[in-house]
Amino acid sequence: MTFPIKKNLQANHTQEITDANAQLKALLNAAVDAIIIIDHLGCIELFNAAAQKMFGYPSSEVVGNNIRMLMPEPYRREHDKYLSNYMETKNAKIIGTGREVKACKKNGEIFPIELSVGEVLESSHKQFVGIIRDISEQVKARSDAIANRERLAHVTRLSTMGEMAAGIAHEINQPLSAISSYAQACKNMLERSSNVPDTIAQQQKLSITLEKISSQARRAGEVIRRLRGFVKKRTAEREYVDLNVLIKDSIELAKVDTRLLDHGISLSLTASPAPLLLIDEIQIQQVLFNLIRNAIDAMEDQPTDQVNISSKWIDAQYIEVSVTDTGYGVSKENLVHLFHPFFTTKETGMGMGLPICQSIIQSHGGELRHRAGIDKGSVFSFTLPAKSIVKNKLG
Amino acid sequence: MKRNATPPVLKQVVHIIDDDEAVLDSLSMLLDSVGIKNAIYSNAQTFLDTHQGESIRALAGCIVLDVRMPGMSGMECQQQLEQLKCSLPVIFITGHGDVPMAVEAMKKGAIEFIQKPFREQELLDCIQHALELNKAEHERASRLLDIDKRRKSLTKREKEVMQRVIAGQANKVIACDLNLSQRTIEIHRSNVMDKMQVNSLAELVTLALIK
Ligand SMILES: Nc1ncnc2c1ncn2[C@@H]1O[C@H](COP(=O)(O)OP(=O)(O)O)[C@@H](O)[C@H]1O
Ligand SMILES: [Mg+2]
Repeated sequence: MTFPIKKNLQANHTQEITDANAQLKALLNAAVDAIIIIDHLGCIELFNAAAQKMFGYPSSEVVGNNIRMLMPEPYRREHDKYLSNYMETKNAKIIGTGREVKACKKNGEIFPIELSVGEVLESSHKQFVGIIRDISEQVKARSDAIANRERLAHVTRLSTMGEMAAGIAHEINQPLSAISSYAQACKNMLERSSNVPDTIAQQQKLSITLEKISSQARRAGEVIRRLRGFVKKRTAEREYVDLNVLIKDSIELAKVDTRLLDHGISLSLTASPAPLLLIDEIQIQQVLFNLIRNAIDAMEDQPTDQVNISSKWIDAQYIEVSVTDTGYGVSKENLVHLFHPFFTTKETGMGMGLPICQSIIQSHGGELRHRAGIDKGSVFSFTLPAKSIVKNKLG
Repeated sequence: MKRNATPPVLKQVVHIIDDDEAVLDSLSMLLDSVGIKNAIYSNAQTFLDTHQGESIRALAGCIVLDVRMPGMSGMECQQQLEQLKCSLPVIFITGHGDVPMAVEAMKKGAIEFIQKPFREQELLDCIQHALELNKAEHERASRLLDIDKRRKSLTKREKEVMQRVIAGQANKVIACDLNLSQRTIEIHRSNVMDKMQVNSLAELVTLALIK
């Protein structure tokens, strides 16, 4: 193996240099991370032992070839442009900082790596040294954690809805019963009108009522759509959502807990600017649903007290949503356990509500906190990164 | 013999209380379609406020009441009505089979507990039944009022005589007891029959028994 450093100093055959070379060689071969040196065109000059192991190529098959061979698309396509751009402008996205990218093994397998690049200064020609760490394990652990959280969240959503069967029936029964009564009324109107001449007014009344029928049918459909969305097996995914719409949707869903029909909810939502959030909608709905149910649980003995839901901007980047009740509150002793898995003070409680809420909120880059209510009861607040909805100025 | 003029036709209204706008509207339309007068309220408090004080007792008709509503629940409303001595029959509608609640409601005098979704005819029959009950109740009440008025028109002496007549005492005995002539008793007795608007002793006894 020829080291570039050797070329530089070929003239001076001192013992020190030989020693330094030997040490460097040992260092490179002992390194756990793959170390690759390329020239300004991307031509590979050095490929250490760890690199050979990681990529599956012996050194002889890569040295002299372009570094592109170790990159999958789209990195492969972009790399030349990237290098020449750097040579001209000295503007690097990667030099000095680690970055997560993809690499390609000899057998074609693509895997995630963390790459940090340094420029070799004071050498005879332009050189870059890349240090590469295989982070397949971490990436897998990360995505496993996401999948696990979603799996757990899904199971608890299912079990919640299992408990809610009566409420679900109620929510669907409401529009169905309206449909049925409207339809019967139409029939009565028609039967009665066979005796009297049909008037425009009667026809209009019939047509309005028929329209009401179909709107109630859609309402029943909405209930089912919301429920299906909530219990469907899915992968966690994020999209931009209007927070205020989401909150209202969550309340509609939470009505399957029929106690909510007794309490009612008061809303004080931030109107302008409307908050737009990049979130997993179902998961945030689940958080709201859990907090609402806890609030109702806490107000078991105050069946006419309302639950309040409010939202406000705490700064330009964060929105805070609070669910407030006037129930029995959280005692000092319980405070420390509040977010612990399986901590519950309820006879039929699971104690998984708050831990799941917290993990969902944290995974969205926010915080879930509890504080005591002003007179009594509790406030559960969570923050989420948000941006304001910019009204379309083109129209 | 005096006879009452026929009482004015009872103006019965079905009062529907439900927080669900569509349910409320559809029920109202259903009753309209069969010509039953109705009024709608989106919560129990509005109903109570609308008919504050005395007028709630004067209402004729019946109440169709949703069990679950934010604020005052159907059960609480029923309790309030009871306290206000409102005699309107109550029909409960519920969206879910809450058996203990149904039992409780029936104990407190609800006449029916209908579960959604129901057959419209079932509800209409219930309402018809409730209206009949209410009509009978009103007739009883106005009859009582009428009888009371007749009773009040009796003099002290006539009342005394009536008590004894009802108790089955002969005129002779009454005359002796009250230290009056038998002729006087006969006149009192005839006045009682007149004022109470009855033709026979049997009728008088029946009237006297009505409380
Ligand atoms: N709004 C609240 N008011 C009072 N206590 C609450 C409230 N929310 C949660 N808690 C307490 O935290 C515990 C854990 O809540 P959670 O994780 O949702 O589980 P669960 O509701 O099944 O008990 C509850 O049992 C209760 O003691
Ligand atoms: Mg809970």
